Amino acid sequence: MTSPLRSRVAALAAAGAVLLTGACSVANTDGAAASDTVRIVLPEEPPTLEPCDASLSPTGRVTRANITEALTERVPSTGALEPSLATEWSQTSPTTWRFTLRSGVTFHDGTPFTAAAAKFSIDRAVSSDIGCHVDGYVFDDSTLTTAAVDDSTVEVSTAEPDPILPLRLSFVEIVPTTTSATAKVREPIGTGPYRIEAWNQGVSLRLARFDKYWGKAPDYAAAEYVWRAEGSIRAAMVGSGEADVATGLAPADGAGDRGVTFPNNETSYLRMDAGKAPLNDIRVRRAINYAIDRDGLVASVFAGLGEPAAQLVPAGVTGHNPDLKPVPFDMERAKALIAEAGAAGVPVDTPITIIGRNGIYPKAAEAMEVVQQSLTQAGLKVEIKMLDVNAWIEYLLGPVPADVGPVLLQAQHGNQAGDAAFTMASNYGSKGQQSSYGTPELDAMIAAAEQASGADRQSKFASALAFQNDQIMRDAVLAHMKGIIALAPNVKYEPNAATYDEMRLSEMHPAG
Amino acid sequence: MLAYLRRRVLSSALPLLVVILGVFFLARLTGDPTNLYLPLSATAQQRADFAARNGFDQPVLVQFVDYVGQVVRLDFGESLRTAQPAATAVLRAFPATLQLAGAAMVIAVLAALVVGSLAAYRPNSAADRAASFLSSAASSTPDFWFAIMGVLVFAVWLGWLPTSGTAGAAAWILPVVTLLIRPFGVLVQVVRGAMVTALSAPYVKVARSKGASERQVIFGHALRNAGAPVLTVAGDLAVGLVNGAVVVETIFGWPGIGKLMIDSILQRDFAVLQAAVLVTAVAIFLLNILIDVGYALLDARVRQGAMA
Repeated sequence: MTSPLRSRVAALAAAGAVLLTGACSVANTDGAAASDTVRIVLPEEPPTLEPCDASLSPTGRVTRANITEALTERVPSTGALEPSLATEWSQTSPTTWRFTLRSGVTFHDGTPFTAAAAKFSIDRAVSSDIGCHVDGYVFDDSTLTTAAVDDSTVEVSTAEPDPILPLRLSFVEIVPTTTSATAKVREPIGTGPYRIEAWNQGVSLRLARFDKYWGKAPDYAAAEYVWRAEGSIRAAMVGSGEADVATGLAPADGAGDRGVTFPNNETSYLRMDAGKAPLNDIRVRRAINYAIDRDGLVASVFAGLGEPAAQLVPAGVTGHNPDLKPVPFDMERAKALIAEAGAAGVPVDTPITIIGRNGIYPKAAEAMEVVQQSLTQAGLKVEIKMLDVNAWIEYLLGPVPADVGPVLLQAQHGNQAGDAAFTMASNYGSKGQQSSYGTPELDAMIAAAEQASGADRQSKFASALAFQNDQIMRDAVLAHMKGIIALAPNVKYEPNAATYDEMRLSEMHPAG
Repeated sequence: MLAYLRRRVLSSALPLLVVILGVFFLARLTGDPTNLYLPLSATAQQRADFAARNGFDQPVLVQFVDYVGQVVRLDFGESLRTAQPAATAVLRAFPATLQLAGAAMVIAVLAALVVGSLAAYRPNSAADRAASFLSSAASSTPDFWFAIMGVLVFAVWLGWLPTSGTAGAAAWILPVVTLLIRPFGVLVQVVRGAMVTALSAPYVKVARSKGASERQVIFGHALRNAGAPVLTVAGDLAVGLVNGAVVVETIFGWPGIGKLMIDSILQRDFAVLQAAVLVTAVAIFLLNILIDVGYALLDARVRQGAMA
C-alpha cells in the first residue's frame, strides 16, 4: 500500500523534475565555441546597441567600430583623426565642413551607403527627439544643418565656427535611412565588420563577420559576448578557458599572468570647493596638493596601476601640457602653508568633508583614507563620507546638498573624445556642469582655445591648463589610471586608452 | 476548505495592494534618474527634454495616477535602460529564478528529510552528531564565499564545472548547491527536532507494537506528524529564494529576478523595478497560499478548524 505521504513526496520530486526540465529553456549556447570565435566577458550586458547611444561605454564597446562606423575615427594612441566612412573632409567656410564619402560601402541589410544615410544618421543623433546620449556628450546646445550635396558628398554646418567638427562626428555612427527616426533601436544595422547574429537577452550576444565589409576582413569569424558582474568570475573564466578576453578587472580579481595593464584614459582627482573657506585660500589648496604622496598612493593603494598626474588631460589628447609635473610630496611645506593661512585669519580648522564614491576605481575608500590621514597631518580637519553613485553625482553636478561645508570631491575624469574641449569648460569653466569654481580669466582662455585650430589650439589649451595649475589650483589631481584585462594565451590583443569605450574586434587575432 | 482558502486569499490581498502602491513611492525616493541617463556634459535643455519624455516633469501624484491606471491594464511601461517593455524583462527573468530556487528547494527538502530523520532515529549516535555538525556548518556558510571558493576549486583548479553561466546541466551545479546549502542546514535541524519528538510519541509505540516496519514507522507515521514545522520553515526559506537569489545570480551570471531588481534600483529604472516587485509579490502571495493548503492537508485540525 502506498502511503499518502509517499505519494506526496513523489509528486514533489516530479515537480522538481519538471522544474529542472523547464530549466533547459534558460540554458543556451554560451558554452563551447569554435576557435574561430573570440569569446569576451564584459562586466555588464549592453542595455541596447543603439548607435546614437554609443558614447555610453556599455553600448559603445560592442557597437562602435564593430557593428557600426562613423565618418571619421580617432586613433587612441596618437590622437590622429583618420578616414572611416568619409575618405576626406575640408572646411568650405568657417561654419561648414564638407565630407567626401567612401564608395562601395554596403550596410548589413545589403543597401548601399550614401550621403542620404550620412545625413539621416547625423540628423537622427543630433536633431531628433529621441534623446541620444551622443547629443549631450559631444554636441552641447549646438545645432547642425546637414545637406547631401550629391550621392557621395555631405555638408555639415554649425551656427558658430567649430574647428573640431570632424572629431565630434567620429561619435556619430552611421545607420541606414530605414532605421527608426522616432525611437531608439536595440539591434542596429551598420556598415561595420560584424553584424548582429543573435542576442539571447540576459545570456549572450553573438556577432558574425560581415562578408561584404568594405575594409580588410577581421580574423575571427564571430564574437561571442557574455557578461558577469563579479570581476573575480570574469578573471576565472579566462583561467578556466571559458573566455578569451575579460574586461574591467581590478588587481584583486586575480587575473595573474593573464592580466594585461594599460592606461584606461581615466584621471583620478579631488575637486575642491574653491569658493568656500578654508578652500577659498590658494595656500590651503596648494598645501593639500603638497600633502598628498602620489607616488605612495599609486604604489600601495592602486597596486602600481597608475602614473602620478598633474592635469586632467592625459597624453594623446589635444591640449595636454607635457611641461606640467605632478606636485611633489612635501609635508613640511604643506604644514607651513596651512600655518601661514591660519595666521592670516583663514579658518583652517573648519571641517572639510571628502565626498567619496564607492567603486569609482579599485580601493576607492582606502585611497580617501590615505588622503584624510595626510591632510590631518598637514593640519586640516577632514571627514570622509563614502556614497553610492546616485548620491555622489548630486555633489558632482549640483545643486550641492545644503547640509555640507567645504567639500573635497573624489572624482575621475575620462576624455574619451580626444580634445581638451571635452574637459576644460565643463570641468574648469565658471558655469561648467562639473565645475565647482572658475574665474573670468580662465573662462576667456578656454573660450579662445575652443575657437582655435591646429598647433594654436594645442598651445592655447596647454596654457589654460598651466594657468589653472599655477594660478588657481582648484584640484588635487592624483593619477592617470590604468585598467586590467585578462587575455587567454590563444588570443592577441593590445588594449589601448579607448578599450573600455570601443573594443575593436578587428584588432583581436588568434595567437600563433 | 474553500472557505478557508477564501479567507486566506483575502487576508493576503491587502499586503499585496500595499506593495503595489508602496513600490511606486519607494522607487522615487532613490532620486531622479536624469543624471544617470544623460552624459555629465548634458545641457539644461537636454535634461528638461529627458524629464518631459519620460513623464518625470509631472507632479508625483499625476505620475502615480498614471501608474495605477497602467497597472490595472497590466501595462508596466517601458524600461529606461533597454527601451523594452518592463514586463518583457521581468517575465524573462522570473522563470530563471523560479527554476533555480525550485531545484534548490526540492533538493534541500528531500535531503534534509532523509538526513534529519536518520539523525533523529538514534539521538546522540555518531550519525546524529555528524548530521548536526554538517547542518551547523551548512547553515552558517556565507553564500558569496562558498560560491567563489566553489568556482576556484571546481572550475579553475579541477576544471570539472563551468565557472558560471546557464549553458548545460553542469552549469546548474554550483549555483544550485550554493543556493541550497543554507536551507538544507536549517531544515536538517528542524526535521531532526520534529522527528525526535514524533518518534517518542505514543502512536509510534502503537505502530511498532502492531509490527510496522521501521521504514514505515519513520516515513509513514512519524515524518507525517513532523511535517507541519518543516513546512513552516521550508515555506519561509522558499519565499526568501523566490525574492531573488541576488548573490548567486550576480556571481554566476544567472539572468534572474534578483539581479534584475538590484540593477533596476541602481539604475533607477522605475518601470522595471515596479514590475519586478509586483510579479514577485504575486508569486509570494501564491506561495503562501500553497503553504496554507499544505498545512491543511497535513493537519486535520487546521482543516477542520477552518471548516467549523
